[in-house]
Amino acid sequence: SAYSLRPGLQQRFKSSTVKECIHAILKEKLANVQYVPEEMPQLTMSLSETIKDRLKEEGFDRYKMVVQVVIGEQRGEGVNMAARCFWDADTDSCAHDVFMNDSLFCVVAAFGCFYY
Amino acid sequence: MGLNVVLRAVGKKRFGRRAALCGVEDSASSSRTSFVVDEVSSIIKEAIESAIGGNAYQHSKVNQWTTSVVEQTLSQLTKLGKPFKYIVTCVIMQKNGAGLHTASSCFWDNSSDGTCTVRWENKTMYCIVSAFGLAI
Repeated sequence: SAYSLRPGLQQRFKSSTVKECIHAILKEKLANVQYVPEEMPQLTMSLSETIKDRLKEEGFDRYKMVVQVVIGEQRGEGVNMAARCFWDADTDSCAHDVFMNDSLFCVVAAFGCFYY
Repeated sequence: MGLNVVLRAVGKKRFGRRAALCGVEDSASSSRTSFVVDEVSSIIKEAIESAIGGNAYQHSKVNQWTTSVVEQTLSQLTKLGKPFKYIVTCVIMQKNGAGLHTASSCFWDNSSDGTCTVRWENKTMYCIVSAFGLAI
């Protein structure tokens, strides 16, 4: 078996697959959660760990991954988030999802970079 | 003020270090190929200052600001000429008494990859910029 310098079609970090994973996890974990300042640090950390572990299980071999979670209180304030990446557009990709309920909003961005 | 920011990177060594082509690696060459947090942090601060330095939060301009902070940071990082892939994210939030938390989790090689996060604020808004560098 040769050492491939490019991921095969099945192994690519597919934006749509990743987005579905994130969406399912957010729906499950945040369904009835209220914004409580003391609990938020723990929640954001555990969410990012859970999502990262879930993505590892998906089997994206040879991909380095970064998952970023932002949770904020819903108070009508304006929030804007942007990201730019310097990578190999052929092999690398990202996915994001937003979850909102009455008391909080949550944005998750997951990035995958192929390790040659 | 209800702002709490938490950032944690969890690294996991996935692949063995590539064998160095020659057996010697001096400290000068390693700083040319490693993620230097202070350097990246000052690049980010400069980008934030120049994009939103003296401004008050304006809903119509926020989009433009986040984009310009991120693009400027990224272009300065790539000018460093190191063998890294970069990911830069920026969150700008109006000061309204609401809380914001961010966390990130990474699956990478702890010895070569790194991250840097800068929190900045003025009277009307908060800005959080994270830069991740993944070695090739």
